Amino acid sequence: MRIVVTYKWTCDPEEATVRADGTVDWSRAKPGISTYDPVAMELARRLADAAGAELIGLTAGGKGVGTPIAAKAALSRGLDRVVIIEDESLREAGRSELAAVLAAAVRRIGDVDLIITGDSSVDVAAKMVPTVLAGELGWPAVAEVTAVTGQAGALRVERAIPGGVQVLEISGPAVLAASADAAVPHVPGMKELLAAGKKPVDRLELTALDVPARSAVMTVTGRARPERKARKGQLIDTSDPATAAAELVTALRAAGAL
Amino acid sequence: MSVNAWIIVGDQPTVGNLITVARSLGGPVGAVVAGPRSVAETVAASGVDRVVWCRAPGDVPAEACAPAVADVVAADPPRVVLSGRNPSERVLLGAAAARLGAAVVTGARSVAIDGGDVIVVNAVFGDIADETVAVSGPVALLLDGGPVPPTAGGSAPIEEVSAAPLPLKVIETRMHDFDEVDLNSAHRVIGVGRGLKAKEDLAMMEELAQALEAEVACSRPVAEGLNWMGKDRYIGSSGAHIAPQLYLTVGISGQLQHMVGVTGAETIVAINSDPNAAVFQQTDYGLVGDLYQLVPAIIAALK
Repeated sequence: MRIVVTYKWTCDPEEATVRADGTVDWSRAKPGISTYDPVAMELARRLADAAGAELIGLTAGGKGVGTPIAAKAALSRGLDRVVIIEDESLREAGRSELAAVLAAAVRRIGDVDLIITGDSSVDVAAKMVPTVLAGELGWPAVAEVTAVTGQAGALRVERAIPGGVQVLEISGPAVLAASADAAVPHVPGMKELLAAGKKPVDRLELTALDVPARSAVMTVTGRARPERKARKGQLIDTSDPATAAAELVTALRAAGAL
Repeated sequence: MSVNAWIIVGDQPTVGNLITVARSLGGPVGAVVAGPRSVAETVAASGVDRVVWCRAPGDVPAEACAPAVADVVAADPPRVVLSGRNPSERVLLGAAAARLGAAVVTGARSVAIDGGDVIVVNAVFGDIADETVAVSGPVALLLDGGPVPPTAGGSAPIEEVSAAPLPLKVIETRMHDFDEVDLNSAHRVIGVGRGLKAKEDLAMMEELAQALEAEVACSRPVAEGLNWMGKDRYIGSSGAHIAPQLYLTVGISGQLQHMVGVTGAETIVAINSDPNAAVFQQTDYGLVGDLYQLVPAIIAALK
C-alpha cells in the first residue's frame, strides 16, 4: 500500500515585489516547502505508520524543485522517498496542467491508494490542484479535511463544511486536501535531517510521462501592479490612551468612517 | 440548445454572482446541480436557460456526484464553467476541468470573450499582481458564488440524470455553535489577531463591535488553529475579501496574506504593541500600544 503526499517547493509572495511594469521580482525570496505542505506530510506520516504503508513525496515544478536542498527538506519530514519532476516548462504551469502532470506521475508510481495534499500553496493559493488531480484520476476528492482515521480503502474523514463539520466514509482511493490545522507539523531534528540525505530520490522526466494534451491553451498577456488606495499612515500618540482614543474617534468621524 | 457557460452548484443555491458573470458573457447559461432537488428548483427560477439535476442517494455528499457533473458538462462543452469557492464546489469544478482539459483560473476580477479567446484578469501571487490571461479553449473559473439569486420570470425545466456516485458516504454532520456572518454586508469590521491573549478577551472585542456597530472578524490563525471563531470570519487571500467603510485591526501583524483581504477598505486603523509591525505601513491611523488599555479607552470615547 502506498500513500502519496504532494508538495510544492516555492517562494512566499510576502518576499516578492511587483515592479512598476508589472513584472514580479522574486530575487529576495528564498524557496522552501510551501507553508501548509508540512501539515499534509505530518498527517500522511501518521496514516502511513498506522497502516504500514510506504509514504512517497511527489512534486513537479521548474528548475530548482529537485535540488539536493529541496529534496532533503521534504525527506526530513518523514517521507520514505520522493519522486520529482523537474522541468523548466512547468515553472509557470497552470493549475490544471500541473494536476495532469501529477496524475500521470501517480499512475507511473503505481499501487497508490491515497493522496494527501496541503490546503493551498503559499504562492498561488488556488486550492484547485488537488481537485483537478482527483478528476484526472477519476477518484473522489475531499477538501478542508481536519482528521483522517482508518486505512486506505476504508477511511473515515472529518472535514469542515460551512458552519460545521461532517464525517465521511470513503471506500477506494481518494485525494484528501488537509485543512491548515489538520495536524501540527513537528520541526525535523538533526537525526531526521541526516537520515534524509540517505533516502531515495527518484526523478521522472516530464517527456516520459503520459500527460493527456490540454484542450485549453492559456497565455499570460500582461501583469500589472494593482492600484491600491493610498493610506494616510498617520500615527496617533498613545502615551495617554484616553486622549489617543478621543483623537482616533474624532479622526474617524471626520473621515466619515463612523 | 448548446450552452456557452455552465454553472456548477453544490449544496447551496448561493450562485447569484456566478449567474451575473455567466450572463455577461452572452449565450445560453446552464446550471448543473449536485445538491438537493430544492437547490435545483431555486436555480431554475433564477433566469438560467437549462438546469440538470444529478439525482443521488440521500446519504452521499455533493462531491460523490463529481463524475456525473463532469459528464453533463462534457456532453455540452462550454466556453466557461464556473463554481463558487466552497470545498465541495471546488471538487466538482476540478472534476469538470479535468474532463474538459480546461484551464483553471481563480481570483478573476473580470472575464470577457474576445473572438476565440476568453480573457480573464485575475489576482495572482497573494493578490500582489494583476495578471491578464488569454485562453483558447475551455476555462474553469472559481469565483465568489454570491448570494442566492433573485427569481426571474418563469422557470427553466429541470432535466434529471441519475448519478452513479463515487464511494463516499456521509456518516455524521455536526453544526458548531459559532454564529454565521456575512462580512461583506458589514459597514465596519474589527479584525482580531493573535495579539489577543485569551479567548475570553473576545468579550471586549464584542463590546467594541457594539460601540462601533461593527462585525468581528479575525486573522486566519484565530479561526484555524486557535478555533476561537468560525472559519467564515477570517480575512485574507484564502478567506474573506471585504471592502467596509472601516477596518480596525487589533493585534494583527499585517502579513500580506491577511491584508490583501482588506485592500478595498475605505479607512484602516491598526492597534499593535510592536511599532515595527508591517500593519502600520498599510493603515490610515496607527496606534502603537497595549490593546488592553487602548480598546477600553476607544469604547469609552465612543459612548
